[in-house]
Amino acid sequence: MTAGLPIQEILTGLSIGSRLFLVALGLSLIFGVLGVLNFAHGAFYMVGAYATASIVGAAGGNFWVAAVGAALTVGLLGAVVEFGLIRRIYDRNELDQLILTFALVLIISDLTRTIWGSGTQTVETPAAFAGNVPVLGVSFPAYRLFVIVVAFLAMGVFWYVLTRTYVGQLVRATSSDRDMAALLGVDVPRLYTGVFAVGSVLAGLGGALTTPIQSFTPALGDQVIINAFVVVVIGGLGSFTGAFVGAMLIGLFQSFGVLVATGVNQLLPFLAMILVLIFRPEGLFGGEEL
Amino acid sequence: MSDIHPLVERPPRSVVAVVGVLLVVAPLVLPSFQTYLLTEVLALALFATGFNLLYGYTGLLSFGHAMFFGTAGYTVGIFMRDVAPGLGLGGATPLVGFLIAGVLGVLVAVAVAVPVGYLSVRLEEIYFAMITLSFSMALYVLAIQNYLGLTNGSDGFSVILGTATLGGFDLALYDRVTYYYLTLLVVAPAMYLLWRIVRSPFGLVSEAIRENAERTGALGVGVRTHRWAAFVVSALFTGVAGVLIAPLHGSLSPGANLHWSISAEPVIITVFGGPYTFIGPTIGAFFFEYIRWGITQFPVLEAHWQLIFGTLILGIVLFAPRGVSGFVSWVVSRATGGESA
Repeated sequence: MTAGLPIQEILTGLSIGSRLFLVALGLSLIFGVLGVLNFAHGAFYMVGAYATASIVGAAGGNFWVAAVGAALTVGLLGAVVEFGLIRRIYDRNELDQLILTFALVLIISDLTRTIWGSGTQTVETPAAFAGNVPVLGVSFPAYRLFVIVVAFLAMGVFWYVLTRTYVGQLVRATSSDRDMAALLGVDVPRLYTGVFAVGSVLAGLGGALTTPIQSFTPALGDQVIINAFVVVVIGGLGSFTGAFVGAMLIGLFQSFGVLVATGVNQLLPFLAMILVLIFRPEGLFGGEEL
Repeated sequence: MSDIHPLVERPPRSVVAVVGVLLVVAPLVLPSFQTYLLTEVLALALFATGFNLLYGYTGLLSFGHAMFFGTAGYTVGIFMRDVAPGLGLGGATPLVGFLIAGVLGVLVAVAVAVPVGYLSVRLEEIYFAMITLSFSMALYVLAIQNYLGLTNGSDGFSVILGTATLGGFDLALYDRVTYYYLTLLVVAPAMYLLWRIVRSPFGLVSEAIRENAERTGALGVGVRTHRWAAFVVSALFTGVAGVLIAPLHGSLSPGANLHWSISAEPVIITVFGGPYTFIGPTIGAFFFEYIRWGITQFPVLEAHWQLIFGTLILGIVLFAPRGVSGFVSWVVSRATGGESA
């Protein structure tokens, strides 16, 4: 290990953060535009992981086909959920929406166990990224490096789409004033379904990319949703820069926390969330427009 | 809310009396396990009604009430394990020990609620739910990590009630019927107190805050202070429920007493029963417990309890946002032919 920066811990932290970022970005996007805090987002992530495992089997071991297929499957699931259920209660308060999506957590977890069983699932690392590569003087798993690159790419793509394209303008306009956007001719319900589906695709992609790194059970969704809440609250609900910084921060907490004392890596995210809510409730990057 | 039928919102004394008599007689006729279930219903009803003081009446959704439920329970367990056996009060030790443990448990829940509430009520809606969630999860992690060596980590430890000897008379506290009456003796006055609280000016101000915090503030109410007070009172009653559940279950663990899924229980129960009536969470607790038990009677259903509960909650949120009590109220107003108040 080189003297100075603990490169290994930083890379590990970024790799954990990158996976969290994908799921938190979707959560934050949905909250920012629709105003719904989707409790079922972790369950979507879990479905992404399971769908990947199934499609890998069916697609003769091709991980890439499986990851894309899983992300799209979850996107479709999201569109159906938005269209069939959440749309019916947009005029109700946020708490009803939170409770409705909590009901979905129970339903999706149950169906997942019914379809795939409650055993542990694993997916092999795609051949192209098997093994380690040298980075800044340390040897780091190539696949984890790839996930970090994907997260940075996703951040770039979202920044570009939201700030530089027409669709992005419509999304931002609807986010800041739904009624005015509707009056100006934006098809708000369709846009909502679209945004919810895209947010779900991100959850599914996060789940898919996680499968080669960790084995998983139907408890995966519960583990991830609490971390995703922490990330978006720290970063600022609705802020995608915030989701990025929050995710990387939590990732680094996890990788460095274990060095301090056992359990500190689990405790730090909640303490950080409490501190942020006390001193800057809108989040580190909250209050800015999408 | 105002569209709840008065017979449901303020049931006549005769109905209250009949229910009271049924609750007293029940363990004498019920099989042992049913007595256990009914004890749990009483504790859960108190848990959810205490929670609903904050949610239905004050308009704040806490997603961390397990922190009061759990700290009170853990205090009982730790005191009864480490301190109570050495009290040296002869035959009365098991009973007195539990009573002291219970009082301490409630005090600890309140001691947690005072600072946590102060910090939490500065926020509203989703943010309030999130900060209460993070406080309770921080406590959950602390209990798992066992930093103080008191909680035995994720395994937890057991809570066992002894047999008290009072004036030559043996009282087995762990006996299901005895423990049922002990619980009833605590829950009934607690519920009456809660009922008085929601009917008092304090409760009416809470409802005013729920309906419109800004306007209530303009009328001269210190909204934040009032919410803080409601938070602490809610935690107090939740603590009482936590005290009662610990010896009933006979064990404590982070997963069963502090995890966020425990915080979700009063939420589910209240959604079941309906948050806008006093009796709603109690009706919810009854349904929750017996549906849960009914499900365990059929292996097919038991394997899919999440699906069943999820679908029920979904249906209630979509089609009956006032819960079972709202539905009952609708039936009563149809049956009596009168218009609902």
